[in-house]
Amino acid sequence: MILAGIVYFAVCALVVLLGAVGVVASRDPIRSAVSLLASILGVAGLYLKLSAEFLAAIQVIVYAGAVVVLFVFVIMLLGPDAGSRVEPSRARPSRVVGAVVAAAVALAAVLLLLPRDHGLTSFGEVPAGFGGIEAVGGHLFTRALLPFELATALLIAAVVGAIALSRGRGVIPKAPPPPVNPTARMFGGPVHPRDAGRPLGEEGMR
Amino acid sequence: MTWWSTLFAVSPLVVVALGALLLMLAEALGRPAPAADGAVVTDVGSGRAGELGIGSAVVLFAGGVFALSLWMVGPEALPGAEGLAPYFIVDRFSAFFGVMLCLGGGLSALLGGGYLDEHGIDRSEFFPLLLWATLGAMALAGAGDLLTLFVALETMSIGVYAMVGLRRNGRAIEAALKYFLLGGFAGALTLFGAALLYGATGHTDLAGIGASVGTIGQPGSTVPAGLVLVAMALVVSGLLFKVAAVPFHMWTPDAYEGAPTPATTFMAVAVKCAAFAILLRVLFGAFADERVASWGTGWPPVLAVLAVATMTVGNLIAGRQESVKRMLAYSSIAHAGYALLGVVAAMRSGMGQASVLFYLLAYTVSTVGAFGALILCGRRGAEAVSYEDLAGIGRRHPVVALAFSLFLVSLAGIPATAGFFGKLGVFLAAIDAELYVLAVVGLLNSFLGAYYYLRVLVYMYMREPSPNAPRAVPMRSGQVGVAIAVAALLVVWWGLFPLSIGADVTAAGSAPMAR
Repeated sequence: MILAGIVYFAVCALVVLLGAVGVVASRDPIRSAVSLLASILGVAGLYLKLSAEFLAAIQVIVYAGAVVVLFVFVIMLLGPDAGSRVEPSRARPSRVVGAVVAAAVALAAVLLLLPRDHGLTSFGEVPAGFGGIEAVGGHLFTRALLPFELATALLIAAVVGAIALSRGRGVIPKAPPPPVNPTARMFGGPVHPRDAGRPLGEEGMR
Repeated sequence: MTWWSTLFAVSPLVVVALGALLLMLAEALGRPAPAADGAVVTDVGSGRAGELGIGSAVVLFAGGVFALSLWMVGPEALPGAEGLAPYFIVDRFSAFFGVMLCLGGGLSALLGGGYLDEHGIDRSEFFPLLLWATLGAMALAGAGDLLTLFVALETMSIGVYAMVGLRRNGRAIEAALKYFLLGGFAGALTLFGAALLYGATGHTDLAGIGASVGTIGQPGSTVPAGLVLVAMALVVSGLLFKVAAVPFHMWTPDAYEGAPTPATTFMAVAVKCAAFAILLRVLFGAFADERVASWGTGWPPVLAVLAVATMTVGNLIAGRQESVKRMLAYSSIAHAGYALLGVVAAMRSGMGQASVLFYLLAYTVSTVGAFGALILCGRRGAEAVSYEDLAGIGRRHPVVALAFSLFLVSLAGIPATAGFFGKLGVFLAAIDAELYVLAVVGLLNSFLGAYYYLRVLVYMYMREPSPNAPRAVPMRSGQVGVAIAVAALLVVWWGLFPLSIGADVTAAGSAPMAR
């Protein structure tokens, strides 16, 4: 039983890590997106192991279902050649120093964690209903109401920021936009109520 | 009947959030201001930056008034406040920061109203973003749990990322992208550290983490010390990034220079103050155990080295800048170093935290004033950025130059200004904590800093612009004028009567950091 748990954890963790490496290592953006999907599904599997069933479901629905699909949409919109083909530049001193320092810090962290023969903190048996919708919702809407509401502020700020950055610089024209194209009027009938009573003009007959 | 007292306890946040929503509605439903020729509205704003600036300043000052009344009533007396802990801690510390952040944010909003109008950056999203970011900053100052910490940190940061990139030139985009990528990375570090902390201690609230960390080394403790150490390093690194401490400062000059000046002001003031607030809460709430917070075995020596590096690097590079805006960016790095000195001193000295609070307060009003005066010195198409732009402005526009001088003198820490007592408090705390070398290094650094602040004064009063150079003509804006007047009043008031708020700062600084 315990062995099965360890094997399950190892498989999920492997999927997460390989997916994460795939995201940054692959040159094709679509492959990156699919690797991300694998990584996200692996995390959902880890949540299941932690008795967080609700969170696992949300992870699959929101991240795998919505966010990755959005990524794929954007990649498709931009076209496969949108990514810049930047050749890896040669090693500069600052990069070498950065890599060495990062490696040293990582090594120090690993050495700090390795030699002790201690387990992690034991969290004990989980109570019944732990990780279900009721438990999560109950906590979110009572004790943790303030951070929950703060998350709405975060989302609003993100939406407003995205609009502010993506909205085009432009000029609002004085005249109304030119009428719909004549072909549409000829074959598809009037497409705008305003044009319904108007006879077909010269441009429509051409 | 505790619900109303709970509501009162969070009223500063509620007021700012409701105000932000109202402002967004008003902006969305309001008609665009007619342009002079009837049609052309560039940069698709509503053309009402000035009105929105006043509106958001009113909202933020109202939030500040609520925080102030919370302070007057006393958060201890509120029965409903206890129920919010640990996610949001309502105490004198968070009320103090509520007032300070609302003041800094409100003054930045006034600067924004004048600046965006003048420079034709007619993007009214600036103001809701500023309000949401201030809300995040206020929540951050009261966070007693890693969950609130992260959500509040991101709320604050996301608003600021967008504010930095509002102006669409290459430099602003570079600044926003740099800040966003590095900031996202720092946020991820903090989150990774938070996850490890939870794994090591089984708690996400700072008080619980503190209790678990306190058991390390005692028989029967299951808390792995190495893991806690790595987690602490990750969390604190992420926070030091927001503070712009060396070596996490690389983004600062570019982001500060590329952003519209009111956004720069907000970053220098509100973001930095809130980051210091949560740094104090984390260090003295979760890692305040005797051994973890002692000079021999804990974090203080590391932080002391960073403080010295921050001060020295900031001051040395600031002296070599040709752009005044960039100089102020490096000087804000140096100021983070002085405040970090106070944080280190707080491990042993009772006045350490209070000295940090007073320092941040003095820094807030001086910095808002300095950036405001810089805004006032330029006008559309001719923004004042370099020293040359300011040449001779003292003779032609004495009032502007006088205000600028006052704020620079305060930032340099010359007596009879708020900045002097800010520095004095930090150095006294360092001496009280028996960190004499640090106090001396800080003192030497403030001489170093005086050089480049006074250089601006030299240019303003003793140089004439070269005959062919375009002369800087100050803009006219009531809002910027009001912001500068308020800041100047506070700088002089706290510079002449620092003891008038001494007791309040001490009360705020002596509150327990986690519960």
